Amino acid sequence: METDRFAYEGPDDLRETVQRALQRVVDPEVAMNIVDVGLVHRVRVDGEGAHVRMTMTSAACPMADVIVEDVEAELADALPGHPPVAVEVVWEPAWTPERLSAKARRFMGW
Amino acid sequence: MDAGAAEREGPPFHGLVSRVPGAWRAGRRGAPQPVPGIRPLLALLVLGCLVAGVTGGLLRLGVLLPWSGSGWAGQAAVAHAALMIPAFFGTAIGIERAVAVKLRWAFAAPLLSGLAGLCLATGAAVTGAALAVAASVAFVAVHVLVVRRQSASHTWLLLVGAGCLLAGNALLLLRAAADATLAFWFAFLVITIAAERLEMTRLMRRRRGASVALYAILGLLLAGAAASAAWPVAGGVAYGAALLLLASWLACFDIARRTVRTSGLSRYMAVCLLCGYAWLAAAGVAWAAASMGFPGRDLALHGLGLGFVFSMVFGHAPVILPAVARVKFAFHPAFFVPLAVLHLSLAWRFGPGATDLGQRALAGAWNAGALLLFALTLAVAAWRWRRLHPGPATPGA
Repeated sequence: METDRFAYEGPDDLRETVQRALQRVVDPEVAMNIVDVGLVHRVRVDGEGAHVRMTMTSAACPMADVIVEDVEAELADALPGHPPVAVEVVWEPAWTPERLSAKARRFMGW
Repeated sequence: MDAGAAEREGPPFHGLVSRVPGAWRAGRRGAPQPVPGIRPLLALLVLGCLVAGVTGGLLRLGVLLPWSGSGWAGQAAVAHAALMIPAFFGTAIGIERAVAVKLRWAFAAPLLSGLAGLCLATGAAVTGAALAVAASVAFVAVHVLVVRRQSASHTWLLLVGAGCLLAGNALLLLRAAADATLAFWFAFLVITIAAERLEMTRLMRRRRGASVALYAILGLLLAGAAASAAWPVAGGVAYGAALLLLASWLACFDIARRTVRTSGLSRYMAVCLLCGYAWLAAAGVAWAAASMGFPGRDLALHGLGLGFVFSMVFGHAPVILPAVARVKFAFHPAFFVPLAVLHLSLAWRFGPGATDLGQRALAGAWNAGALLLFALTLAVAAWRWRRLHPGPATPGA
């Protein structure tokens, strides 16, 4: 598993849990999960819950809500005690193809 | 690659969206929710525009439905194109954008275009056209906002597409240049789709010059639409050539070439896209031919509208409807059935139906049947999702 796909702050033993949960959120249009596409900027897990900062590839896409909903559901299910999950969608830094994972780049023929 | 490194030193979190799973997702804390009741109203308007548009289209082909005898059906036949593009697609895409930007005033665009459709279907042509113009002004304003939020080539193209809708609607109100009106309406759809595909092609490594080629093709499309008002032959040939070139561009650069090798919903979406591109190419050739006086006007208009645009709708509805209508679907290979019916009935319509009006009417009825079958497939997929996920299906609705 490619690590360091996003910045992570929180207990080390939950890092892989968080990454696996986020990898279950798939954008069917591109047939890839949001971690491989590089939409997740950073995740913080603390006593209040999980906080995710992520972006989308387009500000005109209505699917953002569905992806955010899936992120919340997957993280809440995966983390111990089903903590509250907050997701912030930001446009800076903007998504660029450099954010694609090695696996995603292979799939897309880079 | 360490994609997270750039963010580690970033500012602390702020403006959290929701602290409780399942709450309504706004872009920022305090962003307004849609006006209560607006979504069901808009859903009714979209559906009404579609039913009226399809009824009118079938009546033009000589296919009667149980309600075709009513007064509005005749009006719907007259206003078929306006009902399908500025009314139905204007409203559907307007809702999509309003949901994306999360601003109450953005829902004015689909509300006005839906009401425009209601007027057009009931014979209030001037009021309908005026409402359509007002709707497209709001639609353009929404896209200006999108560009201000994210200034990227695809958001600028979406704005150009919105401008085409405004141009077409203004021509409708002025009752001028029917050919150019249609060309601008289709340009709205084609450029909107091209913009959305351009956004996706960023995931693939593009050859140098691919973006410039796309801008040149869309420039030719716009020039063709504008020229259609004064020089229908030259304008139509340029427009048709642009459609053909766009199909070639999409066939070369779209991610569907990759995602078609996957499975499930992703593969289904890619098949919808690739089938649509084939009709886009055919419609381009037919558009140019028809403008030179050769047969092929039906293929030009409906190869584009049904073969290309509705194929995109079939592909994207399972992922867009969960966002705009708060309903989720469990994908099933049965989704390929309405898609196959759509494309086979189009081949029937433009093949044997090109010279035989009876065959064309039958094939046209199956085109409409494909839409109905697709709606049924969606309904079953929504039911399957609820059965597979007991409990509140749409907590944020």
